[in-house]
Parts: sequence; C-alpha cells; structure tokens
Amino acid sequence: MKKTMIIICLLVFSAVTSSCWNLKEPNQLAIVIGGGLDLSQDGQLEVSSQIAVPAALGGENNGPSKKRSFVVVNATGKNFMDAGQNLQMQLSRTLFYAHRQTILVGQRIAEQGVAGQGFLKYLDMIVRNPKSEMRSVIWIVKGGTAKDILATEPTFDALISTTLYSVQMALGMKPYYYREFLCESLPKGGAVLLPAISTNSSKKKFIYSGAAILDKEHELHLIGFLNPEESYYANWIKGRQKTLTVTTSESQKEGNISLRVKSPKRHIRVEKDAQGMHVHIQLHGFGNIVENNTSLDPSEAQDLGAIQKKLSQEAERDVVKLIQKAQKQYKVDILGLGELVHQKYPHEWKSLQKNWNDTFSKMTITAEVHLRYHDPGQTNASM
Amino acid sequence: MPTPSNEGIPSQENSARTVSSNLKENEQTLISIFEHCSDVVFRRLTLHNDAKLLLVYIDGMIDKDFVQSSILKPLIYEGVPQGLGALDSLAQMCDQEFVAALQTKRVTSFEEAADHILKGSVAFLADGETSILLADVAQFETRSIEEPSTEASLRGTRESFTEHLRTNTTMLRRIIVTPDLKMETFQIGKLTKTDVVLAYIRGLASDNLLEEVRSRIETIDIQGVLESGYIEEYIEDTNYSPFPQMMSTERADVVSAGLMEGRIAVFVNGSPIVLIVPMTFWDGLQAPDDYYERFLYVTMNRWIRYLFALFSILFPSIYIALTTYHPEMMPPKLMMSITGLREQSPFPTVIEVFLMEFMFEGLREAGIRLPQQIGPLVSIVGALVIGQAAVQAGIISAPIVIVVSAAGISSFVIPRYRFGYPLRMLRFPLLILSGVFGLFGVALGLILIMIHLIHLTPLGTPYLQPIAPTKKSKLKDVFWRRPRKGTS
Repeated sequence: MKKTMIIICLLVFSAVTSSCWNLKEPNQLAIVIGGGLDLSQDGQLEVSSQIAVPAALGGENNGPSKKRSFVVVNATGKNFMDAGQNLQMQLSRTLFYAHRQTILVGQRIAEQGVAGQGFLKYLDMIVRNPKSEMRSVIWIVKGGTAKDILATEPTFDALISTTLYSVQMALGMKPYYYREFLCESLPKGGAVLLPAISTNSSKKKFIYSGAAILDKEHELHLIGFLNPEESYYANWIKGRQKTLTVTTSESQKEGNISLRVKSPKRHIRVEKDAQGMHVHIQLHGFGNIVENNTSLDPSEAQDLGAIQKKLSQEAERDVVKLIQKAQKQYKVDILGLGELVHQKYPHEWKSLQKNWNDTFSKMTITAEVHLRYHDPGQTNASM
Repeated sequence: MPTPSNEGIPSQENSARTVSSNLKENEQTLISIFEHCSDVVFRRLTLHNDAKLLLVYIDGMIDKDFVQSSILKPLIYEGVPQGLGALDSLAQMCDQEFVAALQTKRVTSFEEAADHILKGSVAFLADGETSILLADVAQFETRSIEEPSTEASLRGTRESFTEHLRTNTTMLRRIIVTPDLKMETFQIGKLTKTDVVLAYIRGLASDNLLEEVRSRIETIDIQGVLESGYIEEYIEDTNYSPFPQMMSTERADVVSAGLMEGRIAVFVNGSPIVLIVPMTFWDGLQAPDDYYERFLYVTMNRWIRYLFALFSILFPSIYIALTTYHPEMMPPKLMMSITGLREQSPFPTVIEVFLMEFMFEGLREAGIRLPQQIGPLVSIVGALVIGQAAVQAGIISAPIVIVVSAAGISSFVIPRYRFGYPLRMLRFPLLILSGVFGLFGVALGLILIMIHLIHLTPLGTPYLQPIAPTKKSKLKDVFWRRPRKGTS
C-alpha cells in the first residue's frame, strides 16, 4: 500500500518537475475558427485563417467593445500545414485548429486547382491531423476569394465562421459538413454539390448563392454553379432539404400562390431494360398555403385541385429543367443517382462507375412532382 | 482533545477495600477516596435510638427535593420505617433496601460504591452494617430535546437526540414497541466510565454482525469517551479511508429505520450522535424524508443528489482537463468565452483552481467556527473579496469562481453532511492528477477511488452494495424509491 502510494507520487512529481506535460492554457492558443483556401496571384496555395480574439468576445463587455472580435491572417505555402507554419510567424500564440467551424474554398482554386491538381488533396490535413475539426461546414466562394468572406461582418454574431451553418439551416437545408463532403467525394462517378456563398456588391455582407458543382471524374474541379432555386430542388432530390417554399410563376392576370412545403419526400426508381437505364424521380411535398394572390379559393374543392395542379406542374417544370441542365449543360450527375444505381445494380456499377457522367447525360430521366396542401391558411379566397 | 495517558489511576488503594461494620472506619475510607472533592457531601445523622447514619452524595447530581421529602424527613421525624416486619435498626433497613426510591442496590466494595455515588446515587452507611445501600436519585441539568440541527428535513419528526443516554434510548423505545428491541450496555473508558448501548432488534440483526460489533466494543481500551466518534474509530474497519463507514445520526427515526433493516445502533452517553452500522455508499446519499415524501418526487431528488455528488467531486478537475488539455472537447462558443475571461489572469488554471478551493474550504471552516454574531461578516467578506473583487482585479478569472463555488455548493446537497467530506477531500488529488495528466489523470483518479470503494467492506458488508455486488432485490431503493404499497 505504502509502496504503491510512493510510486504514484513519484510518477506524478516526475511528470511535473520534468515539465513533461502538454498542458496549454487557453490563452496560449490562437483559436482558428474559420479557414480559407485561395489561389494567390502567382499561382500558389494561399491559406487564410480567421482567428478569434477572445478578449473582445468574452469578459465584461459593457457596451460595444472597441476591439475587433477576430483577425484574418493569410500566408502562402506549399501545402496547408506549410502555409499554417507561415501563418504562425505572424502570431504570438499557437495555432489551434480544433475549433475550426468553416472551411471556405475560393472560386479560382476550386476551378483551376494548384498546378493543375484539384484542391482536394490539400484537404487531407483536415482528416489526418487529430487536432483538426472534421465538423466544419464547407463552402465554395462564388466569384470571390475565401478571405473576402472571412473578412465580412456578420449581422448577428461576432464571428462569421460560426454562423455559416445556420445560414443553411435557415434556408431549410441540412448543413453540409466536411465529413459529408469526404463521404461524397470518395466514391467514383458523378459530382459533388457544395453550397456556394458570395459577397454582396459592397463586399461587407455575404449572400447564399446556390450550389457549386465539383466534378468527381475531373479531380473535383469546379465546373459550374446552380442558382439558389435550382439548389433547393437538387437538395430535395438528394434528400437534404427539410423545408422550401414553392411559388408559381408570376402572371399578370392570374397572380401567384406560395406553398411552404414542410416535409419534402422523394422516391427515385432505377430500372434497367434493353434500352439501358431509366430513372424516375417522384417528389412529394405537403405544406401550407402561405400566400395566395389569385382569385382561386382553396376552400373549394375545384379551386384547390387547380391550385395543387398548378403548383405541381410548375415545380415539375423546374425539376425537369434542372435535370436537363445537369444532363445537357454540365453533363455530370449532380443528383447522386450514381449511388442509387450502385446500390441496385452493384455488378453493373463496376463497369459504369468509370464513365458514369457520360452514362448519366444520356440516360432517360423522368420526373414528377406532387404538391399537396395541409392547410389553406387562415382565410379562404384571396383578400 | 488529547486523552491523558493510560497510567496510574489514583485512589485505587482505598477503593479496593471492602466495607467493614465500623461506620467511623468506613467514613474515613470514603473521605480518603473523595479527598479534595469539594462537591461530595457527607451528611451524618443520629436517629432516635442513637443509631448513626451517614449519607454520601454529590451535590448537584441528585434530586434534592426527593431525598429531603421521601428519605430524610421520614427517617428523622418518624424513625426507622416499619415495613412488613418490624425493623429494629438502620442496619436492618439497609439490609432490606427499605428506602423509598425506585432503584436501590447493596454493595460491599468501596469501588462500586464510589462509582455509583459519582453517577448520582445517595449512599447510606449505617453503623454495624457491612454493606452500603445505594439509592439512585440522580437528577442533573440536561438539554431539552430540540430540532435536529445537522439533519434538517421538511417532513418527519422534529425530535433529535440529546446528550442524555436515557432520553435517547427512551425515544427509540417509544418508536419501536417490542421486547425484541434489545439494548446491551457496556462501560467504556477508565476515567469516563461512559455507558455505551448496543441497540438492535433480535431476529433482524444478524448474529455474526452482532458478535463482531460486540467483540470490537469489548476490546476498546481507552481512558475516556467524550463522543461517539471515539467508539466509531474503534469499530470501523480501517481508519485510512476518506469515506465514513458508519452512519451517524441525531434522529430517532433514522435509528429506528436502521434497526428495522437489521442494522445495529450504538448509543454513547454524552453524545447526541448515534452510530448505525453497517453503512453503504448509497446510505450517504439518502435523506430521512426520502421515505416520507411521495416516491416520484423522491426519485427525482435522489438523482439530483447522485449527479451533484459526481459534480462536486469532478467538476473542478474536469474543468482543468478540458480547458488546458482538451480545449477541442468544449463547444467553440464556450471555449471562446472562457478564453476571453481568462485573458487577464496571471496564474495557470490549475493554480487558480487550487487557490480558490483553498479559500472555499477556509470559508467553510470559518463558517463553522465563528461565533454567530460574526457569521454574516464572513459571508460578506467571502462573497465580495474572494468572489467579485478577485475577479475584477484580474487575479482570478470568473469561470474559476463559478466552478469552485458550484462544486462547493453541490457537495452540500448531500443529506449526510459527513458524506460530503470525502467528496471535498478527494477533489484535491483529482485536481493534481488532472493538472498533470488531463482527462487521463481524472480517469486514473476515478479508477483508484473505485478500487478503494470496492475494496471497502465495513463489517463484512460491501460498501457499494447493492450495485456491486449486485443485489437485484435491493436495487429498488437505489435507483428509485419504490412505493411501499403492494411490496414487502
């Protein structure tokens, strides 16, 4: 008993006296809350880090503090950590990546990669480094650089990096985390849809700007964007949308109707016959009518049928347009159909996966949308 | 209070003598026994027929009114009382214990006589009688029964034990009305000759346990017993454990409940605290009104206690481990605010927590020792100087004050205040471990504590029973307090 106690004490004290411990006070750390990847002017990898200034965040904030709550530092380097090393030179505290909330990728580096290679290889550090956060949300910056976004002032919070995932939530989507990006980008075939963000004209605020298409068969190079509305439908097909508002197109005579879809459902059927693959996409949505500027009265069965039919038709038209865009314009599978084929026809998939985008663009894809209402709202006919 | 060494009990020489028939001689012996005892009164009486009587008692320990009216008055005015047969002499009266008192006794040794006199008996010595008649007329000032001060409860009896052993055992007798309630008396302490009563219910308390406790009490060889803690130290299995191995209570209902569960209570004269053996870990977290209140509410309360007990022992060390070793495990916003608040503090987190823990324990100790009039002062100084001022001056960071006071307060949630001691004590080794090894150290410390707890089997009962070893039938009183109706 005594011996064990002495041994334990000796061990503890030897650890302390030889300063063999990895204790780090929180105020010895520079907490990176957002990271950005850009291509510098001379074609090098440029890493920007948004670093929190805790003195301005915590503590007794009586009135607005004069200190800014964050700094953005940039450095170029051969890879992520090399750039990080160069970032460290500008800071008096150790960089700490475990609280990184957001990863932003600039449009140029996403399109061109570094020295012809996709930017994905630089993201290895995020998985490999144990001190690195995998639950960061990842965004592509449309028409700008990551550091521009990092420097914008968010409206509500002190730091923009901690707010970006709530932008997606507010728009009714599931936040897109890095680990999901990882899961989606590793299987072959198709494309990855990443959320896109851009600065507004004054460069002071950010704005959600749809989705970015990264071609998996082309080293994840950025090949184009979907506009916000298209991205909602694409997310619906991929099962990432939790709510969305469908509005019929404006027409002078009839007016328009908005339906807030609460629980969008999807049902995708993959069939194979002599002519090849068929995909049939069925989208079901239930929701409340939240705005009605037409003369139709939802409390009457006839009008209601007309409303539902109109809404469904318009949504169907948009979905078909989106599919056309993917098949004809970008020629990549942005809807994640490859994974469904993989599940249903695992043998065929082995030969299909190498050239999946090609197969996809030639495939017959049909779509139907059924929108129904739960609640006509608190009044009958339009006021 | 130190106990004097166990040597040389004085006046043994005289007390070993036996009573002779000569009153003068006996008186001399008693006077020499009670030499320099100014409170011992020798009252010499000569009655009608020249019979000489000597009364010896201690002033202040006997019921004066009773002695005067029921013993002295008849003797002096009416002479030797006449009972069934004629009593010719005082010696005969003493021989037949013919004194109007409830408890009388005849002894022949001075030692025994002196013992009884010291405990409040009147000794009657008559000429020509070779024994001393003792009448128990003890009456002295005692504290009245008050509300329990350390075991307050919202529901349940308001009576708590007093220092007077008889009062305490009476309270028990009034609750448990059965001749199976046994009370065995032992006298412990060479100088204090303290009555120690072992109370149990025959048929419920196991014989092995009883025999073990009995033998442990019998082997106690000590100069004096001032409190039941003296006895506790002798009965408990090991003194080297931070955890109490027997319950101590000042409530008669708790003792009764213990006895009815087959436990054994140890009453000690002069102490309002009664010991109940054996105790388990979970007893420390149960309050008497758990059984008086409605069971749903009680179950919630129990879980609150379990969580707070864990909180009280772990919170400061987990805080250190998380902030200094594993900052990635905290939510980012929390991490940011803690860092912001720590920005100005000059000491490392470990030192800060240690400082504040010491201050807290100091305040706690001061709170007990201070005279009541100064009590509020401590709380003001404590709150202002140690809390607010230290933070504003930037010496201590605000989260530390929250952590230490939250952990400190949560240790007072525990209904048995003695069970809070180990939790507060073990906080310090855990602090060191977490300061040196982070969460790994905390885990190590917890494992060591668990090993100790599992190792602990006070009086043969595993301390963690019924969880480890698992006794399914008894779990109903740990995870929840099962309602009594319909269950045995």
